[in-house]
Amino acid sequence: MASTFPFAAIVGQDEMTLAIQVVAIDPAVGGVLVLGDRGTGKSTAVRALADLLPPIQVVKGCPYRCDPTQPANACPICQAPEGERSEKPVKRAVETQPVRVVDLPLGSTEDRIVGALDLEKALSQGVKEFSPGLLAQAHRGFLYIDEVNLLEDHLVDLLIDVAASGENLVEREGLSIRHPARFVLVGSGNPEEGELRPQLLDRFGLSVQVRTPQDIALRVAVIKRRDAFDRDPEGYKAEWQSESERLQKRIVKARKALPSIVVDDAMLTLCARLCQALGTDGLRAELTLMRAMRALAALQGHKKVKPDHLKTIAPLALSHRLRRNPLDDTDSGQRVQRCLDDLLAA
Amino acid sequence: MADDLKWIDTWNDAMTSLQLLQIDPSGFGGIWLKSPYGPVREAWLRELAAIGLSVVRLPGNLDLERLLGGIDLSATLQTGQLQQQDGLLTQARGGLVCIPMAERFPDALIAPLVQTVDSQAGARDPGFGVIALDESDGDDAPLNPALQERLGLWLDLSGIAPADVVGHLTDNTAVVGLCIDAPSLAVMRRAAPQVNVTDEQVAALCVTAQSLGIASLRIPTLALRVARAHAALNGQTTLTDDDLAFAARRVLAPRATQNPVVNAPPPEDSQAPEPVPESATNDGGETPETPPLEDAQNPDSEDKTGEAVPTAAVEEMLVAAALASLPNGILDRLLTRAGQSNGQALGRSGQLKSGAQRGRPMPPRPGAPGGHARLHVLATLRAAVPKQRLRARSSGARLAIRGEDFHVHRYQQSSASCLLLVLDASGSAALQRLAEAKGAVERLLEQSYARRDSVCIVAFKGAKAELLLPMTRSLVRAKRAMTGLPGGGGTPLAAGLKMAYNQAAQLKRQGVTPLLVILSDGRANVTLAGLGGRAQAMADADQWCTQWRQTGHQALWIDTSVQPDPQVQRLAQAMGGSYLPMPQAQAHRMAAAMDHLRRTSA
Repeated sequence: MASTFPFAAIVGQDEMTLAIQVVAIDPAVGGVLVLGDRGTGKSTAVRALADLLPPIQVVKGCPYRCDPTQPANACPICQAPEGERSEKPVKRAVETQPVRVVDLPLGSTEDRIVGALDLEKALSQGVKEFSPGLLAQAHRGFLYIDEVNLLEDHLVDLLIDVAASGENLVEREGLSIRHPARFVLVGSGNPEEGELRPQLLDRFGLSVQVRTPQDIALRVAVIKRRDAFDRDPEGYKAEWQSESERLQKRIVKARKALPSIVVDDAMLTLCARLCQALGTDGLRAELTLMRAMRALAALQGHKKVKPDHLKTIAPLALSHRLRRNPLDDTDSGQRVQRCLDDLLAA
Repeated sequence: MADDLKWIDTWNDAMTSLQLLQIDPSGFGGIWLKSPYGPVREAWLRELAAIGLSVVRLPGNLDLERLLGGIDLSATLQTGQLQQQDGLLTQARGGLVCIPMAERFPDALIAPLVQTVDSQAGARDPGFGVIALDESDGDDAPLNPALQERLGLWLDLSGIAPADVVGHLTDNTAVVGLCIDAPSLAVMRRAAPQVNVTDEQVAALCVTAQSLGIASLRIPTLALRVARAHAALNGQTTLTDDDLAFAARRVLAPRATQNPVVNAPPPEDSQAPEPVPESATNDGGETPETPPLEDAQNPDSEDKTGEAVPTAAVEEMLVAAALASLPNGILDRLLTRAGQSNGQALGRSGQLKSGAQRGRPMPPRPGAPGGHARLHVLATLRAAVPKQRLRARSSGARLAIRGEDFHVHRYQQSSASCLLLVLDASGSAALQRLAEAKGAVERLLEQSYARRDSVCIVAFKGAKAELLLPMTRSLVRAKRAMTGLPGGGGTPLAAGLKMAYNQAAQLKRQGVTPLLVILSDGRANVTLAGLGGRAQAMADADQWCTQWRQTGHQALWIDTSVQPDPQVQRLAQAMGGSYLPMPQAQAHRMAAAMDHLRRTSA
């Protein structure tokens, strides 16, 4: 398998790497949308994501990679049929697997994404069996869509539904199957090429605007690292191994600390006032904001969420949720920042 | 003299590229060869075939399974066991993939291709290089930008005369010997990654890229890779200026989005004495052939200059004022209304098209799988079951499936539509009404945003029409292109209509349904040939209106004259479209007109 560019070796693009780390700590934040030109390292960063994450425990033989301690309700494999559900927990074999980052290419068919009748079994044995698609593969992992803004509308419809419910319902080709599909959506794209449907936009917890660094020294550093990687992928990866491990430890530690982070009422009120002032729709914005702040505090080793965290996270969590005129091109990140400054000053 | 010999440079570089491909087939992505079909391209392709790399051709009718590998259906059915087949990309490893007519290669296949190219970087197995043969000319949509970006070398052979290549080359000494023999190739391949590069050289590449307006960081990386291969080709262990110059000439220069006159950064970077100025002068030398190419591909740069028009702020204000002057939902009404049957619209792509690839599922129908049609297993089995007893005698298999049982998937999809705006920016229309018209267009754009349509803008004034914005979904760009548009000059209506007609034909070819909206007062006074003369100008316009009618596509004429003009109405009728006067911001009259339009069309 191809080795990926080490996450720790990514130069610059602080907002993007921060957003990705936050999501890695708390998947409930709900995904990252990275917008920017070609060649800014969007895909490199996302594909390197797997580096950050410790391996997970899965039920052996379960195609949906259920968590052994609490198998998903919808899993047809791990969940015993209705009649024979007993009190005592079933013993399941367990194995360790790395977290997956599943690529969803633009031209995918519906079958490939949702899953379809297993052709092999149908043809050779005449058995009707479901062959899981990309959504199933992405369960408990990440689903990465490059050029998400160019995704066909009917595929977007599929994703929106599944991303919200965490379950994939298949009713086609004589199959009727429900399986868990809880994944973190990661999208990237170039806004110059097309806009994103607001419904899909809302499914992303954080959004980041990336630009190419204009600083020559930074650009040279990027090119040199990339070049070193291209010449000897494995050697370069080994060179960064300790750094990668350090980063991974940090993430694991932050995950452990996450439940104990305190978000006090004053902070929640501040969030609510910010969202109100910006006129975001629904409460999802506040929830995301709170979760992301908590994850950030955990990442930085704080016990309590502070206004500083809000300041860092707010532009990421809110800028894509503002009701805006599609033709208005003022930077929404700045609007969030300004509004927050006003609130803090008051 | 220099001009005479330029083709030799280009051709020599094209030949050198072939040698670089041998050294590093997959490292720098590949080659984008822009050239029409003809002896020149054939000559190059002949050389390509001779260099001893395996070349896999990807036809446009390829399906995804064949590209990436999957189940071999016929073999599986025959043997009753699963037979996998390798995808073409897997077969191409270590060699090249060649895409003829790359500009028409479906996006659905470009995406997985690009993904595979990307994942090659860290892979242990050898990858493949991509040769994209692009025959697009003029206004045709160029190669998919995602693929463009990943192909290191851009060659444009369209400037070379066939006689030069065919006649000269057989005895011309300038031509390099191409095929590298195996032992030295092995040495070069090993040497290429080891070539030493100084920090200054990397910096020089970065600075040059930036001064040419290349934002992507992928490009300098590719350039470096190309330079390395070039050094290895010449048997050097450190990178020389010559290598850098080649990379700058063939990787950086063709992608320039601005003139390298912004040379402020390079002089500061004084540690890099040679390469920067050299590559910069090279660009200067090369640019006679590159600018037309850039112009076609980089409307952005035009946008930027448009923005700088000082009146922009004032115009924006006017735009806002005029926003209210167009009723809501006008696009929806126009599109949902029953297609006008003018007798010629037969076989046009309507609102919906059914196909075998994507969209909402429709009932399966009998047909052979392959190409883009996918087997519908259930329906196939269902068709086979009743005949089992009959067939059981002849075959021993448990389930006998014959060719006639095959059913394939069908899907229905609403075809994309594109709002084709034709703006009259002439003096007669402009001065008082252009801003208002822009406001109206913005309203239309907002609607098209909600409908997820794309937009394409043509403007005409003075003596000619220009394509302000090729098809895009980005409304920000559409708005920018429009607000930056200055008004004034004559009214070459026919030229505008002609360009709209050509654009529509092109969109149609791409499977997009065009929807024409013209904003003009219809007072044509410049003929198609660019000369004055009201009568001839009107006659020309009339002719192109009739021409449009033959396409059978929808059209809407928004009359921007102060008083509704019967002549414009006649033109609108001639093109089989609807007519909507936009008298000064009278919303209720507009609404009434819309109502009328709906009633008449219903």
